[in-house]
Amino acid sequence: MSNTGITIKGVSDGIFIYVEGNDYEKIKEALEIKLRENIEFFRGSKLIGIEGEELTLDIKTEIMLLLKYKYDFVLMKDDTLNQIQKKIETFDEHKNVTNIVEEGMTKFVHGTLRSGQEVSYNGNIVVIGDVNPGAVLRAKGNIIVLGLLRGIAHAGLGGNKNAVVAAYSLLPTQLRIDDIIVRPPEGDSHYKYPEIARVIENKVIIEPYLPNK
Amino acid sequence: MEKGNKGISIVVTSGKGGVGKTTTSANIGTGLAMQGYSVVVLDADIGLRNLDVVMGLENRIVYDIVDVVNKNCKLKQALIKDKRHEKLFLLPAAQTKDKTAVSTSQMVELVNELKEQYDYIIIDSPAGIEQGFQYSIAGADEAIIVTTPEVSAVRDADRVIGILEANEIYQPKLIINRIRQDMVKRGDMMTIDDILDILAVKLLGIVPDDENVVVSTNRGEPVVMDEKAISGRAYRNIVKRIIGEEVELLNLDEINQGRFSKMMKLFFGR
Repeated sequence: MSNTGITIKGVSDGIFIYVEGNDYEKIKEALEIKLRENIEFFRGSKLIGIEGEELTLDIKTEIMLLLKYKYDFVLMKDDTLNQIQKKIETFDEHKNVTNIVEEGMTKFVHGTLRSGQEVSYNGNIVVIGDVNPGAVLRAKGNIIVLGLLRGIAHAGLGGNKNAVVAAYSLLPTQLRIDDIIVRPPEGDSHYKYPEIARVIENKVIIEPYLPNK
Repeated sequence: MEKGNKGISIVVTSGKGGVGKTTTSANIGTGLAMQGYSVVVLDADIGLRNLDVVMGLENRIVYDIVDVVNKNCKLKQALIKDKRHEKLFLLPAAQTKDKTAVSTSQMVELVNELKEQYDYIIIDSPAGIEQGFQYSIAGADEAIIVTTPEVSAVRDADRVIGILEANEIYQPKLIINRIRQDMVKRGDMMTIDDILDILAVKLLGIVPDDENVVVSTNRGEPVVMDEKAISGRAYRNIVKRIIGEEVELLNLDEINQGRFSKMMKLFFGR
């Protein structure tokens, strides 16, 4: 099959997509092939716009929804996109908000994060290792640490109070869920069992997630 | 000169200042020379030169590292032979320049040249993580992290280990300096296990806090040569581990209070 004429251009602050033809299925297929070649590179990219001579607004919207929800693209809010943005927002409203976290993308970090290292992700973060003091995790979704969490963890970035932080040993310098910031009580508290932090009635509650152990 | 390096370059670094990088470099360099290896200790702390002072070679300096990389002199001319050990050489830092006087590529070239002629190149890195640190690790094959049992030093060591990994120097080895066993026993000082718990790297050795280090540093005679001092013994053990010998006493598994105080008794008779 010949390439259905998809051109992806990277500009300084995002990417621009040129599309030929007006068959959504074909465009979708071609676009997915292109993206899959380098999925890690494109994930979370900022989409500046979609252009094409035969494009209808409906196809444009479909493509944008695809990019936003399947590939985690960030959409630009410029004039040409306003109308589409509105459609997406109404689409968002219909979704059950609590499910966004459960379905988001997940980044896996292998190894220990040391002081000065930072991981930010537009979804969940799973660390297979320790997070040392001075290291920072920022996630739109949940944060799970399969080790000791001693650094700063910020889950639910940008308005998601359903996000949780869980660790084999939860001893963060500071814990943030959405806009709530808490720190552990003074004094040495060396918990030996796994714990989870979640927001209940605007307070961060920390409890063992395996209470019978 | 034939290609193909035979030597190993090891950078001694810490992030934090004042934890004993220079003392450690001088003692490891001297200790390796005592074992019969040819060694160059390279002072990468341009502008704050003091490895020469610790080794008692200050008054012999004519050329320095900046002269070498700028080709004002030959490498051999700048290398200062130690007073006591035939196979130990110092490449001093410049005192009147700053860290911008040497580039990373010049440093790599210099270390590679030294590696062709000597068994060990010990690079004494400056404190911090800026340019001086960057070029001092550039030519290194391995790294030794020096820390003291303080939260600030351990935090900086952790940061440095992360940067080393980003620069493809993996599995650095740790020296914990200035341990005071009496304070550890009272619970007033971080234990070795506390430190290893955070840093999760291989322990190369521990050096107890010892007045003899200060005395020997001021005299310009590395304490590793002192047969009686416990810190000298600690450095000799570290050197043996670097050359691949198994040394039992200060091994990670052996470091517990009982064993350690036995050793103290053995050496101090108390």
